[in-house]
Amino acid sequence: MTTVQNLDRLEERQARHTLSVQSLSKSYGEGADAVEVLHELDVRVEPNEVVCIVGPSGAGKTTLLRCLAGLLPPSSGKVMLGDQEMTEPLSEVGVVFQDYSRSLLPWMRTKENVAFPLQGRGMGRSQRMALAEQCLDAVGLPAVGRKYPWQLSGGMQQRAAIARALAYQSEILLMDEPFASVDAQTRFDLEDLVLDLRKRLGISIVVVTHDIDEAVYLADRVVVLSGHPATVVDVVDVPFGMDRDQIDTKADARFTEARRRILNEIRH
Amino acid sequence: MSTILAEAPKQLGRLLEQVWLVAVLAAAWWFLSANSTSVYFPPLSKIMQSLVSGFTTGTMMRDVVFSLSNILIGIAVATVLGVAVGILIGELERLRQVLDPFLQFVRSVPQSALIPIVIGALGIGQAPKIYMIAFACFWPVLLNTIDGVRSIAPEVRDMAKSYRIPTTLRIRRIVLPAALPQIVAGVRVSLAVGVVIMVVSEIFSAVAGIGHYINMAGSSFDISGAWAGTLLVGALGYLLSVSFILFEKGTLRWYFDSAALASHGRIKTTRSRRKAKK
Repeated sequence: MTTVQNLDRLEERQARHTLSVQSLSKSYGEGADAVEVLHELDVRVEPNEVVCIVGPSGAGKTTLLRCLAGLLPPSSGKVMLGDQEMTEPLSEVGVVFQDYSRSLLPWMRTKENVAFPLQGRGMGRSQRMALAEQCLDAVGLPAVGRKYPWQLSGGMQQRAAIARALAYQSEILLMDEPFASVDAQTRFDLEDLVLDLRKRLGISIVVVTHDIDEAVYLADRVVVLSGHPATVVDVVDVPFGMDRDQIDTKADARFTEARRRILNEIRH
Repeated sequence: MSTILAEAPKQLGRLLEQVWLVAVLAAAWWFLSANSTSVYFPPLSKIMQSLVSGFTTGTMMRDVVFSLSNILIGIAVATVLGVAVGILIGELERLRQVLDPFLQFVRSVPQSALIPIVIGALGIGQAPKIYMIAFACFWPVLLNTIDGVRSIAPEVRDMAKSYRIPTTLRIRRIVLPAALPQIVAGVRVSLAVGVVIMVVSEIFSAVAGIGHYINMAGSSFDISGAWAGTLLVGALGYLLSVSFILFEKGTLRWYFDSAALASHGRIKTTRSRRKAKK
């Protein structure tokens, strides 16, 4: 019974809000020593869109993501969810961290890890466990709920971290270099999982990555950050729609063109 | 069944490995001291007699109960307070900075030096000894708890923040388990500290306890009695630490298993579980 209700819930996840930053700047330090990392950024993530943020190392990609997550207050400008200003983390936004081996808690079994944020929302145990199971199913991990995260491979741990963000019922997923430390094959599988979740659940996804191929493959729009302090140097539209394929999409001339354009912008 | 039989010789071997040195030393002591006429180094056989008669006709049983209850209550109090205060200080960075010099000072004060003052002020009964043990054991637990809380990875804190985990739930399910390995290490240190304080506080002035027994025997020239008491303290300390290690293995299973997996690529301690399945 509860499973059916939860199933409805997962399918009804669908993003309704636009996540955006408006002339956002961020500096670290104070006074004369302050270093500006981000300068006057404007980025919009429309419902059900995948937006990738690329840029060279140290361009402030992670800083931007932390601002979007409400973990870091901007120095000036605003982070908006719909027409509401975000000043703290909101439940509409779920974060998948780069270092999955740390962000999953080693003293909880995988299913408990996925269900844990729901406990903070006061959801009953049986209900949140059922939802956790369902989310583990959705990311292709149907049988590992009883295992501890450290008993899983890196790719499986990252899937579990994605399941946790899904279980939290957020409509927007923020992912910080999510596949940086898994092998190539696993990375392709996880990229396809991201596209699949977007299509099936209607959620919006923001992926920070330094990998241009990954950005173009995943994104509807690629936001290119560059410079010190970083500014948005370009927003590249990628016209592949919902259905993409690791081989065909990447062989498409438009893929190569987008890739070349971004690479040039980052180099200069 | 067959696996249990196959394991038996291996376990016996491991046991022998641990026991042989103790056995050799005990035997050496027994035979070398057999003809000793020194007042201060009586034969081991005589010490053993004192130990047995201490239990059968003397006050030894009452003394052991007295000492054991002191140390167990003392450590329990120290652990509860140390963990509670440690989490508070570890979580509040400003508070820690303010208190840090004070903590460094207190940790270097020799606790046993305070015994005369505390007992002078509070009397020779059981409570002041428990206070002393609790006080001395509080510091290792406190300092380890603070360290444990502070060493929680920033990723974990970000996770808790972005998933809006409420404070009490965060303390209970994230901070406490994350700091637990360090907390347990602190309690293990305080166990050793507690045994010393227990004995010294009873030697200084008491009406019961193993320390009291040693002191009484020593000052009435019953040196073998004093030796017997001393050996008993050693045995007690050993038993306490062994039972604590067992407790530690039980509560920190995830910690040892994940560490073993990381270093050897396989899980050692779950072997028993797999065996049970066969």
